[in-house]
Amino acid sequence: MTRALAIHGLGHAYALRTVLEDIDLELPAGRTVALVGPSGCGKTTLLHLCAGLLTVQKGTLENGFLRPAVMFQQPRLLPWKTTRDNIALGLKALGVPAGERLARAGAVGRSVGLDELALGQFPHALSGGMQSRAALARALALAPDLLLMDEPFSALDIGLKSQLHRLLLEHQAAHGLAVLMITHDLMEAVRLADTLLVMAAEPGRIVHRVELATPARRRGDAEVYQTTARLLQHPAVCASFGLEPPAPAENGTGGCTVLPLHGDSDAGCAAPALRKKGFSC
Amino acid sequence: MTLLRAWLTGIPAYLWSGWGAIASLFLLLAAWEGASAVHGALILPDPGTVFATLAGLVDSGAAWPELAVTARRAATGLALAIAAGSTLGMLAGISMTASMMSRPLVTVLLGTPPIAWLVLAMLWFGASDGTPVFTVFIACFPVIFVGALQGTRTLDGHLREVATVYRLPLRMKLFDLYLPHVVSYLFPAWITALGTSWKVVVMAELLSSADGVGAALAVSRSHLDTAATLAWIAAVVLTLLTVEYLLLEPVKRELEGWRRQETEGGAA
Repeated sequence: MTRALAIHGLGHAYALRTVLEDIDLELPAGRTVALVGPSGCGKTTLLHLCAGLLTVQKGTLENGFLRPAVMFQQPRLLPWKTTRDNIALGLKALGVPAGERLARAGAVGRSVGLDELALGQFPHALSGGMQSRAALARALALAPDLLLMDEPFSALDIGLKSQLHRLLLEHQAAHGLAVLMITHDLMEAVRLADTLLVMAAEPGRIVHRVELATPARRRGDAEVYQTTARLLQHPAVCASFGLEPPAPAENGTGGCTVLPLHGDSDAGCAAPALRKKGFSC
Repeated sequence: MTLLRAWLTGIPAYLWSGWGAIASLFLLLAAWEGASAVHGALILPDPGTVFATLAGLVDSGAAWPELAVTARRAATGLALAIAAGSTLGMLAGISMTASMMSRPLVTVLLGTPPIAWLVLAMLWFGASDGTPVFTVFIACFPVIFVGALQGTRTLDGHLREVATVYRLPLRMKLFDLYLPHVVSYLFPAWITALGTSWKVVVMAELLSSADGVGAALAVSRSHLDTAATLAWIAAVVLTLLTVEYLLLEPVKRELEGWRRQETEGGAA
């Protein structure tokens, strides 16, 4: 089997409620696919299916990757283990001897910016940002070839978020891992992904697909902002997030449902957005 | 080994932190002395007499064999209850069906008074060791079972998912995921059970045995020897306090180090 994640006609239902319908997705090695959509559109269900936490009910899901790792929305560190032991968790499960796995955990921990003090502490003593780093380190310590991420950075401030984005991109460039990430932050998706899939809710389905040509590492801020703004004017994206569709270009500025990126929140916007969540940068 | 060293080095600081407890115990002694002065030595001998009687029992060598017999019975019953209660409780906690089915049964066990079990045990086991051991077991088992059950059931489902996606083998799931969490429920249950076992064993001996502290209490009661009765009671209570505060508390503090750091971290 090739190193790829292939999903065809995937559907899922909780009792009578269909949450996912007819999902098609290909994730080859070394690529990043971002799933974007409003809360409750079945993104997390899809990720849990890929992680093997749920059983496939309908359609096919072929995971050819050998060492998948998952980073959850919350850090989910074991509170009774030190940060270093938490990072080494996956290695311990693989049967790596204690000395080696702690050394490797320390190295990965330092590479995501955790110092010796933080590595020796229990998770409760760490700040939220440190915990997220530890969770990222725990996933990366396995040297995974597939990383599944469920809104991993959504609780972090802009600075930390961009630091962890950089870390992830560097790691990806060095080790060529494939990433399937879920986010409701369109800008995060545009910053990190090669392919962007927009989902809509009820039932969860993919409504729009965007290929980003520039490699993620060479994408500048300006390009990210412009691409995000352009995407927000796309009818499929607007519909998915419950935004007003773009008004016809009367004043030459095109769609006005785009939330301004800097201050001045009502300027140029004829119809207020129904849902602002997820459009913060 | 590290546990033993931490336990030994922790004792001085731990004892020093016990001044408040000692002060309140002295208040109790003072009240006892006062009550004794009011009611007379036959009803309530003063603490001095009681402890002198206790010292006499210890010096004459009468106390240790009885305490040893009682301790052996209590420890046997408690060990059986800990082994069975912890294992079965955790197993029941893993399965939703098993926990739902076992709850009413455990409630019945908890609600049945130990004295009722004692009467049954006397019918079944006669005057042998079996009577106090069984009574202790049946009195301690439900407490430990419930502790293990609740500990297992309250484990965060999110952490269980982490264990699944990081492919933790069964042994690691037990030692790295379930036990550290369950211990914080199990350990208090064990301590409660220890107290119960010590109380129940004396009661069982009083009614069914020819030796042990309970039997000695029965003898001193029949002699109307209030001082000896209180001396035996003091011996029982002091043994329990020693075991609980010198042995179990420090172990518990060590096992729950991560939790202590949590509260300190929260306060900082």
